[in-house]
Parts: sequence; C-alpha cells; structure tokens
Amino acid sequence: MSGERDPEQSSGSRSPVPEAVPEVLLEVVDLSKSFGPVRAVQGLSLDVRAGEVHAVCGHNGAGKSTLVKSLVGLVRPDEGTIRFGGEELSLRNPLDAQGHGIALVNQELSLVPELSVEDNIFLGGLDVPLLYRRRRLSKQARAVLDQLGLGHVQLRTPVETLAIGERQLVEIARLLVRDARLLILDEPTATLSKPEIERVFRATRDLVAQGRSVIFVSHRLDEVFELCDRVTVLRDGRRVGTHEIGEIDRRALIELMLGEMEGAKAMVEHEHTLPGSGEPLVTIEGLTVPGSVEDVSLVLERGLITGLAGQVGSGTSTILRALGGLVPGVSGTVSVRGRPVLLNTPRRAVDAGVLYVPNDRQREGLFLGQTVQRNLIVARLRRLSRLGVLLRRRAHRTARELAGMAGVPVERLGSPAGSLSGGNQQKVLLGRALELEGTALLALDEPTRGVDVGGRADIHALVRTAARRGTAVIFSSTELDEVLDLADVVVTIFHGRIVSVVPRDEASASAILADMTTSHATGTAAAAT
Amino acid sequence: MSRETPHPRRLNAADLAPFAILALMVVALALVPVFTQYTVRTANVYDIFQNFASYGLVALALGITIIAGEFDLSVSSMYLLGGMVAVLTGDGSPMVGILVALGTAVIVGVAQGGLIAGFRLNSMPVTLGGYLVVLGTTYILGHGKSVIYEDYNVGLRLDKPILQIFSIRSLVAICIFAVTIVALRYLRVGRDVRAIGGDRRAARVAGVSVDRLLIGVFVMSALGAALAGALLSYSLATASPTNIGVDVLTFSATAALLGGVRLSGGKGGAIGIAAGVFSLSVLQEILAILRSPDYVSSLITGGLLVAVTIVWAPELSQWFRTTRVSTSLEKDRTPA
Amino acid sequence: MIARVGLERRPLGIADYALGAWVAILVAVTVYGAATTTGFLSVSNMKAILTAASFVGIIAVGLTVIVLSGSLFSLALGQTAAVSAMFFLYSVRWGLGAAIVLTLLLGLAIGAVQGFAVGAWGANPIIITIGAAGLLEGLAVWLSHGESIVPPDNRTSWEHLANPVLGLPAPVYVFIAVSILLAVVMRRTRFGRQIYLLGENRVAARAAALPITLLTVGAFGIASLYTAGSGILIGATSANASLLLVGSYTYDAIAAALVGGNAVTGGRGSIARTALGAIFIATISDMLLLRGYSTGGQILVRGIIVVVVVVLTNLRERNR
Repeated sequence: MSGERDPEQSSGSRSPVPEAVPEVLLEVVDLSKSFGPVRAVQGLSLDVRAGEVHAVCGHNGAGKSTLVKSLVGLVRPDEGTIRFGGEELSLRNPLDAQGHGIALVNQELSLVPELSVEDNIFLGGLDVPLLYRRRRLSKQARAVLDQLGLGHVQLRTPVETLAIGERQLVEIARLLVRDARLLILDEPTATLSKPEIERVFRATRDLVAQGRSVIFVSHRLDEVFELCDRVTVLRDGRRVGTHEIGEIDRRALIELMLGEMEGAKAMVEHEHTLPGSGEPLVTIEGLTVPGSVEDVSLVLERGLITGLAGQVGSGTSTILRALGGLVPGVSGTVSVRGRPVLLNTPRRAVDAGVLYVPNDRQREGLFLGQTVQRNLIVARLRRLSRLGVLLRRRAHRTARELAGMAGVPVERLGSPAGSLSGGNQQKVLLGRALELEGTALLALDEPTRGVDVGGRADIHALVRTAARRGTAVIFSSTELDEVLDLADVVVTIFHGRIVSVVPRDEASASAILADMTTSHATGTAAAAT
Repeated sequence: MSRETPHPRRLNAADLAPFAILALMVVALALVPVFTQYTVRTANVYDIFQNFASYGLVALALGITIIAGEFDLSVSSMYLLGGMVAVLTGDGSPMVGILVALGTAVIVGVAQGGLIAGFRLNSMPVTLGGYLVVLGTTYILGHGKSVIYEDYNVGLRLDKPILQIFSIRSLVAICIFAVTIVALRYLRVGRDVRAIGGDRRAARVAGVSVDRLLIGVFVMSALGAALAGALLSYSLATASPTNIGVDVLTFSATAALLGGVRLSGGKGGAIGIAAGVFSLSVLQEILAILRSPDYVSSLITGGLLVAVTIVWAPELSQWFRTTRVSTSLEKDRTPA
Repeated sequence: MIARVGLERRPLGIADYALGAWVAILVAVTVYGAATTTGFLSVSNMKAILTAASFVGIIAVGLTVIVLSGSLFSLALGQTAAVSAMFFLYSVRWGLGAAIVLTLLLGLAIGAVQGFAVGAWGANPIIITIGAAGLLEGLAVWLSHGESIVPPDNRTSWEHLANPVLGLPAPVYVFIAVSILLAVVMRRTRFGRQIYLLGENRVAARAAALPITLLTVGAFGIASLYTAGSGILIGATSANASLLLVGSYTYDAIAAALVGGNAVTGGRGSIARTALGAIFIATISDMLLLRGYSTGGQILVRGIIVVVVVVLTNLRERNR
C-alpha cells in the first residue's frame, strides 16, 4: 500500500506478521520547502498508519518543524503532496486542517486561562450552538475529559488553575471534540512532570486504540521507545530512515540523527585546552527554581566558556535568566568575585557584573524601532553621559567601536534595529554586552538562534574574544554542534538538573546528545512504567 | 519554559468582593439612623434605584469593553448624544426618539469598532477621538445649548414609583442587566467576549471571529450609553451637551472595577458590575442623606478608584517581595 | 489588552511620516486658511492663535513625556491645571517667587505619586489618572469652599505674568521656551533616551535593567510640573481660578500630542511634534471660528482629525 516505492525505507518496516494490511492515514510524498536560500525540507516522504503512534526525531534544523507546519497549513510547501485519508489536501491554515481532521498541539497552547475547561473545549468551534451550555455538550465534554484521564477535573474550573500537563490535555480534548483523526504532538512532554507524562501517554494509547493516529515529535528518546510504534528520523531536511520501534535501539537512533557529525566534530578545530587561569569568577551553588531548575551548582572561571546543553524546556534558559535577575522565587547562592550577591532584579545583576543576553531578541532584547546605535549603547548610558547629558560624540564613537567588534556594518548604525537581518540583530545584541567595565559574567541565552552558518561563526569568534579578554562566559544552546564548537566545558542539562560536566576535549557528540535527550537514574529512581 | 505548579486559585474570595463591598454599603446605610439624626426611608431606596437607572447601563457598557480587553472612552459623550438625539426626535413619540438614539449608537459603535478591529488599533486613542466627535455632534445638534423636551409627562411616567421603590426607568435598566447576565453566562457570545479579552491570540487561533466580536462589543457599549442618556433626558425633560452631576466616566470605571472587572481583560461579569453600581449608588445616597457637599462624593469615588487600581496592580506583590528581600539583605547580608 | 500596551512588538511603521511632511501640511493649511478665510491673515489673529495654543501646548508637551514612555496618557491634567491655578493665586500672598516655586512643586508631587503607582506597581495609567482627577476635584472644592480663588488685592506682582511682552502675551514665550527646553532634555539626556527605550519595549527595558520606576515617576512628574506651570499662567491671566478652569484642557492636550503624530504606545515621536500639533489644532479651531463654526463644530473637527491621524500613525501590518 505504501512505502514500497521508496528506496530509502529500511527493509524492516514491513510488519513481520502481515495479518492485516495497515491502513495508511497520512501520506506525504516528496515534500520540499525552502525559506529563501535555506532548504528546510527536501524530497521528504513518509506515511503514518491509522492507529499508530509515529515518532519523528531529528536534531535541530533537521526539518521537523517545517514538516509539522506543512501538515497543519501553517506553511505552504513548494513541492510535494499531502494525502490524508486518501484525499489530497491543500491546507490554508490550521483551522482548515482541523476541519479535515489534522490537529497540532505544541508548546504554545491556545487556551484562554480565565475561561472554564468546558468553555475552552468548545471555544471557537464551528458547530457550537448559540445557547451552548446544553447538557448534551457538557456530557460530551465530560466524556472526552474522562477518556483523557482528566476525570478529576471539573468542567467549570478555570483553566488557569490547572497544571500545564492538564492544560495540554484540555487542548487535546478540544481537538478531539472537533474530530481530529491525526494529532501531532510537538514536544509535548518538555515541560511536564513524570506523572503528567504518564497521563499523556495513557491518553495517547487510548486514542490510537480508537483508530486515531498520533505523530509524536520529540527528542526524548526514552519516551519515544516507550510510547511509539514506529520512528522516522529526519536529518538535514530529508528522511534518513523509518523503523519499527522493536527493530532499532537507542544507539542506532542517535547515529541516524547525527549522521556524519560524530566524525566531523571529532576534529577539534579550536583551542579547547582550558586556559589555565583557574580563577573562579562566579560560583553558583544549589540554584533552584521550583518547577524548572533543581540544585544546579557550577563554578565559572575567568576566560572559560561554559556551554549548557539542553533541549527546550530543560531549564537552561531559566538558569541564565535567574543569573540575570529575571526570575522571582530563586533560591540558592550566587557569588561574584567571592561575594554573595542577591539577584532578584535585573539591576542587581548588572551591578554585580552579570550581563544576561535574552534569547528572544525581538521581544526582549532589542528595541526594534530605535537605531542600531541606540541599541548598542543601552547598557552604558551612564558612562556616556556627564551630569545626565549624553556625550554624543563619545556615544557615537563607542557605538562604532562596538559595531566594529561585533561585526555589525557601521553604515547601518543609523538604521532602525528592526531592519537588520537576524544575524546582524543578534550581533547588535551581543555587541551591547561587550567591553563593559566590571563585567564578570556574560550569560548568553541561545546566542545564535535563527542565525545562518556564516553569522554563527562570526558570533562564536566574538564570544571567544570576549572570554579571552577576561570575563567568564556561560551560554545555553539546544544545538549540539554549537555547544561542541564554542564551549570549553560542556554541561548537559535534562529536566532542570545537571546530568554531566565534561571538558570539551573529553566530550563526544553522541554522549552529549544522549545526556540531553534521556533521563538518567541519578539519585531518584526512574518511575516504573 | 518553566513548569508551573499552580495552587488552585481561591475562586471565592475575589469573586465575592463586589458583593462584600455592596453588603458593606448597605450596612452603612442601615446604620445611618443609628449614628445620626437622619432617617432612611423608602424614598431613599427609590433614589438608589433611580441612580442605578441613570448610570448603571453606562457602567455596563464600559465594563463589557474592558472585559473584551479594550476601553471605550467615548461612553461619557455617547451618553449625552443619546439624550440629545432622543429629545430632538422624540417630539411626537418618545419611542421614536429612543429608536433614533439607538440607531445613532449603532453607527458610532460600528465606526469605532470597525476602525479598532480593522486597523488593529489601540482602543484608547480611537475612542478618545470618538469622544470628541460625539461630543461635537451633541453640541451641534443642540446649537450649543440645552434643549427642552416639551412632553414632560413622559418623564413623569418613566419615573413614577412602582411598588414604591422602582420605576419604569430602573426596571428597564434591571431588565437589560438581567439579559446581559444571561448572555454572558449562557450564550456563546458571552464566552467569546471573555475569550478575546482574556487571551486574544488564543481565541483567534481557536477560531473565534475576533473582528466581528470587537465591532459588536463597541456597538453594545454605545447602545448602553445612549439608552441610559436617552431615558435620563426624558426624565429630566432636558438634554444637555455638558455633564450634569457625577462624572459619568469616573462613576462607570469605578463601578466596573468594584464589580470585579479586571483591566487585563477576560474577567468580570454583569452581576458584579450591577453590584458595583449599586454600591456606588448606595454610597451616594448615604452622602445625600447626610447632606454631604458634592465634593465628598468626588473625593470618595476618586479615592476608591485609585485604591482599587492599586490593589489590583499586576506588579504590586512582586514589588513588595523585592523591596522586602532587598531591605533584609542590607540588614544582615544573608545570601539569597 | 490595555494593560498589555507596550509589550506588543511593533513592526516598523508604515506611516511614520517625517516631521518635515507634517510641517508641510501645517503650512498648506495656513495658506489655505489665509486664502479662504477673512480675517485669518492678520497680526492680531496670529497672536490669538499662538496664545490659544500656548496654554494647551505647555500642558501637551509635558504630557508627551508620558506618551513617549509608553504609559498612554493622563486624564488628570485639566484638574491639575485648575488646582495649580487656584493654589498659585492663593499663595501669591507669600510673594510671587514663592508662589511660583510652591505651585510647581505641588504639580511635581501630584504627578510623581501617580507615576510611582504606574511605574513600581504597574497600575493602569488611565484609570489611576481618572481617579486622581476625581480626588483633585474633590480636594479643590473642599479647600476652596466652592468659591473661586482671587488673588489678594495688595499684591499685584502676579499681573506681570499676564502682561504682554513685545506685543505677545507672556504665555507664548513660556510655551516656546519650555518646549525647547524639554525637547533638548528628551534628545540630549540619558533620561530622555531611556524614556524612549522604555516606551518602545517595556519588556526589553526591564531585561536591560533600565530604572523603570524612576523613569515613570519622572515622566508623570514632568507632565504635572508643566501643567502646573500652565496653571500658573492661566490663573494669572484670568485673575480668578476655580474648577471651571478645567474646561477641555485634558482632551485638548491629548489631542495635540496625538495629532502631532506621536505613537500612542510609546517610543516614537517628539516634543516638536506635539508643539506643532498644538499649533495646528489652534490654527484649525481659529479658522473654524472665523468661519462661524460653533463650539460643537470645532470639537467635532478636532475629533475627526484625531481619529484620522491615529489611524495613520498607528497602522500595523495585519497579523496572520
């Protein structure tokens, strides 16, 4: 029925006991999509059977997100066809996709916190009548909630009182009421606790037992093996393999995901021997944020670049934000140059010499409507003014210097920051934090997010220079190759905890990826399935 | 993104606040004869309901726009325009006057809502312009002066006491409130209005037709203000281009906030707003009984508004925490 | 939604028209007025326009700092002006200099308190200022026992403030001077720069450790300070002050700031724009007056201009 034409598909994909030919629900043929010069997805073909949980794995940039967006109409593919239930689809938007039965659940839930569970379930639905709180609908909502394991949740409770895991299930409930036959779960467990994950799994298994299908996009390989029937691996925009879960193991899976990387990155391109300063500039002890970070302790030395490797939701960003004074409710001790500091406001962090560079540069980092020059000198306005008056010539000179250091084209100094490319915007954001007297630590949250290869290399060089000039640097990244390229010390984070701390020379790509994507039974025993 | 482990919110405390405040006011009213030489009579209760009739619908109108995540600054002049149009066109038949006033309101509401939804504009400056346009129109229609409504019997009929404490005017207001209460709770539109105020992006993604709703909300707002103004003008047998008595905007905003409507949108309901309006009406009646000068009412209403806004300011608790922690750090230098 | 103003990322404005274009429009209107309205192009009329623009203009340029900082606007300025006028005329008995200083300080304090609630606690600026307006009204009537304040007969020093200098009333000079002063402050000082940044993106301002509370206190303080200054001039000119003075100053000042092209969500715009907006509105009103338009007509036209300009300056790209 499917797959036979495709030479890439491994021979083990056919069911060993062909009692019933598996019905194909979704067929993707030769999907291609480029964004400008970047080929996100190329010639991608895969199929999903009815009643199966199909995992899609791949490292960042492999094309998972483009695939998902194409399936729900958020992105119009350049080439290729999508066939659902035998019918060829041309989707205009997610609501259109829902009308056909394909629905997406991702990190950004579309629930209105102030409304009740029942209200959210029927929110925006096409068939909901005017007088909508009828008993019939309530019964339907109740049935769906029970089915998803939310029997204890009252229909009238406001969604804001529910935990994230429960909210996710409410969103799924809404999609079920709209008759979703294929549910795409995009990193659903990134922010869930163990029992919540269990609940999601149980609900998923029930759904497929009814004949629906689930695409499970995740980097959490433990969970993939626990929950899924088949797994498709993407790499560089192509499908590199589809296997029945029983026929592949974790190592092989990681190898598929990494491809050539293991070999290539074994070459140490830069000086990674630890600079021998050994002087601890910043000491972190027992940093804890209830719900996301647990007992993180690190010593950050002058001139050393520490990389926090962890996937979305692992807590790496929270750690850095806590250092930047942006997280209330932090406990633990942070000492800068030997003195304990209180980091409960951004002002205090800056005064202590900790400069945090946010990961959402457009929302939280830059002032898009202001000129590049103004963005560059934000952090040093005091130094550039006397008695409150700005010293314009000095400001301009400083801006030019920073632009030069950061690699931002000087002729753009007067343009609004929003008119720059992503890479240049990121350079402006970093340039802002350079050469600031008294800086002890640069905390960079995803320093090359959304930046192309060339820009990434520039930024990495920039960071290295900053470190060698005498500050400590800590950065977080979800991309393995970035971590391997930039960090002197690799710290892997999973579920808010440190999994391992390894100097770069001793780090191997597969070990780090394994640490980033799997839980280890350190301390607490892993929950039994 | 951090995991949250939220505590189940204590629904009851915050939701009951409007009624607690109302109860307080009623108790205060009851205590007036105890502590002063004045008495409280049925006429005072009648006054309270009359006050409710005069301003309640405006508070409801404003409140709904706030629940939807917007703010209609033009309610205070729409109030005046409604009165002016009703008086000018209601010569033969008061019903015609009211209908024309409502028709005008629909035009204004569609215009404002259309601009806000269509151009994704902030509602404040648009309704500020709307306020001026509507006010100007009111002046023009009345040639800059107050206009007398000849048939003062209409007003007498509207205000004739029913069961000693009600009147047609107040019953109309109460009915409209009742309908709105039902609509907000049991009809899909009610839930959708809350949705677009609570999280507009989520509502849009879920499939709610945000733009149409926004226009509808501003039409409702204009209708409420116009109807209240029209009825009041008949009652007074005059339409004036300037505000007489309590500042309508202040009153409505205070009533809505006291009634549990949150400025962040998505929260609040018509019952709460009714409670808020009653609370302020009772308060004003107490002040009237005590022969308090007008400025006391201004002071108290203004003060209440400031107090409520501060109490519900989003960063208040964080500020307390930060200041408390900072000062303790200064004192004993203990690490975080 | 209104509480979230300033958090939304704004795409680069489609209609951020240049100041030059705005001046051109003003000139065009003046030319049109001169050509088609009798009595427009006369020295006394021009003086009248400038004078009318000045009282509102002083308030409006102070208000602009609030607008630029992303706190929308204040609805308490009319009352602040009236209260300042009343306080000034009352305190003249202690000497002109003392009266001026005390009134300005009073204005500053009134504004600073509101600014603190908005900056430190995130209170909604519109509602807080509505409440403050009510409080100020109540206080003013209470303290004045409902009567107008007149300056004491034995002191006439305040009259100097109302005397014309070189043919132009003093308020015009004050308007020009304080506008230039504030424009310089907003463009050349650290405070001014930080206000623009705060208005542009409050979230980023917090992450960049800008002193948000101080900036907001400053913004509201300056607005009130300037309003108090205008109140002093109003009081001196009328020789009589009561709450009747409130008039339409609040909405006129906001209209001037909006019509000048300042983005209501903050971060874009300038003092110069507001000053031009005030002059423009005064010009149009004058023209309408000369042509026999009633008060209502002027208010109506003002409203239409506000709506049109707001649509043009706050256009966003349609989101998906």
